[in-house]
Amino acid sequence: MPVMESIEAVGLRQEVWTAGDLLQRLAGRERFFVLDVRNRDEFDKFRLEGRAPVPTVNIPYFEMLELGGKEDMLNSVVACLEGDVADQLPWDLPILAVCAKGDTSEFVARGLRQLGYSSANLKGGMRAWGEHYATRALAEGPDLAIYQVSRPARGCLSYMVASAGKAIVIDALRHLPPYLDLARAAGLRIEAVIDTHGHADHISGGLALAAETGASYYLHPYDAIHPIDVLPAPIPYKFIGEGQTFPVGRHELKALHIPGHTLGSVALRLEDRYLFAGDSIFIRSIARPDLGGKAETWAPLHRRSLQRLLGLPGGITFLPGHFSSLDEADEAGGFAAPLDELKKRNQGLVVLQEQSGEAFVRYLLESLPEPRPEYVDIKRVNAGLLALTEEDAAVLELGKNVCALSRAHAACGGGPQ
Amino acid sequence: MSQPFDKLLDARGLNCPMPLVNARREIGKLEPGQVLKVAATDRGSVADFQGWAKVAKGVELVGQETEQAEGANVYVHYLRRTA
Repeated sequence: MPVMESIEAVGLRQEVWTAGDLLQRLAGRERFFVLDVRNRDEFDKFRLEGRAPVPTVNIPYFEMLELGGKEDMLNSVVACLEGDVADQLPWDLPILAVCAKGDTSEFVARGLRQLGYSSANLKGGMRAWGEHYATRALAEGPDLAIYQVSRPARGCLSYMVASAGKAIVIDALRHLPPYLDLARAAGLRIEAVIDTHGHADHISGGLALAAETGASYYLHPYDAIHPIDVLPAPIPYKFIGEGQTFPVGRHELKALHIPGHTLGSVALRLEDRYLFAGDSIFIRSIARPDLGGKAETWAPLHRRSLQRLLGLPGGITFLPGHFSSLDEADEAGGFAAPLDELKKRNQGLVVLQEQSGEAFVRYLLESLPEPRPEYVDIKRVNAGLLALTEEDAAVLELGKNVCALSRAHAACGGGPQ
Repeated sequence: MSQPFDKLLDARGLNCPMPLVNARREIGKLEPGQVLKVAATDRGSVADFQGWAKVAKGVELVGQETEQAEGANVYVHYLRRTA
């Protein structure tokens, strides 16, 4: 008969960090150490990253079992941590134990505590961190409010624009409560849900949010065709196209068709004040043109669209669809920047302004990170061509987005830095 | 495609790390050459048993498969004690 171990049975209390606690510490550059006990593939794919680098060591829990060599988990952890591994652990920093779902790391945190380390367990593990949402008001008044709703672990950004009790949601992420709760708390009626493009890195919540709230769901028709399968999306969407306007209370959003990252990419302009840029120009980098499998053909389109965006008024605030590092946040924690500043600081835009068209296209094609194989399936899910269980959906979109150009080739000459 | 085994460990409903911890204990009770079949519902067990079999002495992962039971996936692992 298997012997059961129970956390409750041992009864040593220790600190627990929720995903929200973790975000605060990462954003605040608090110093701590991470002991990640997931298997190496999972670790390589998705690890904790903050504004500043977080010192981390990865020892899979099954290696701890073998290294420690005891029958049960806790005693193996303790024996393992007392052995060679001890050299890698700090005495002067809190150690956060991390695993996939937060159960195994609880043994590890307890083992650490038993040995006298200051330890904490990440509640819910990397799953909970990956599915944590943060909502921040970038502007908040009765005339106009802009909320940035993010999944900090994934670097995904979405928006709710509100005026006079009405709201439009842009690039809704997979889980609906953040939007429904916000709309309820602020007394807003969601009238339209717009995806700026067919997403490859994450599962859109747009269609589900529209269904839940009775709003219409909008997508550019070019992105309602899966680029690899070349199959139409059997989903109830309304067309969005160049110049189309969407009233929201006393304001209006106007669509700009900016093909490049996808053929049906749009940005949404709110007067001369804000541009919901989707995946075009991020804070430090620009979007990649290759996720539809047509990099050579789409890269020149991408260049033309980026040029067009460069021509917008310099004071317009860009609100991107992604960030790559928490460090890109401004002092208040928001991800937003005026175009004039992006022209000076964004690596892709600096190259765009300095290089000829041909050289820029070459730069684009030389700066492509390895695409994730699962992105093809994620696009299928978003097009309604593939249905997944919650568990499969969570596994499919685990990890940080790779929608931007890599930074390895970011120097103007494209050489190594 | 199931295969012969000498002992079944039912780890369904158990969260990580218990399917692996229990399998490790059970295989220690087998004779060299015997096979332990582990049934788990924890999806992470698939990659973890693969990783564990690489570092554990005297254990070989003979096969893995996914079965359906009552609408849920059951992840099955066959482990042979080699020494």
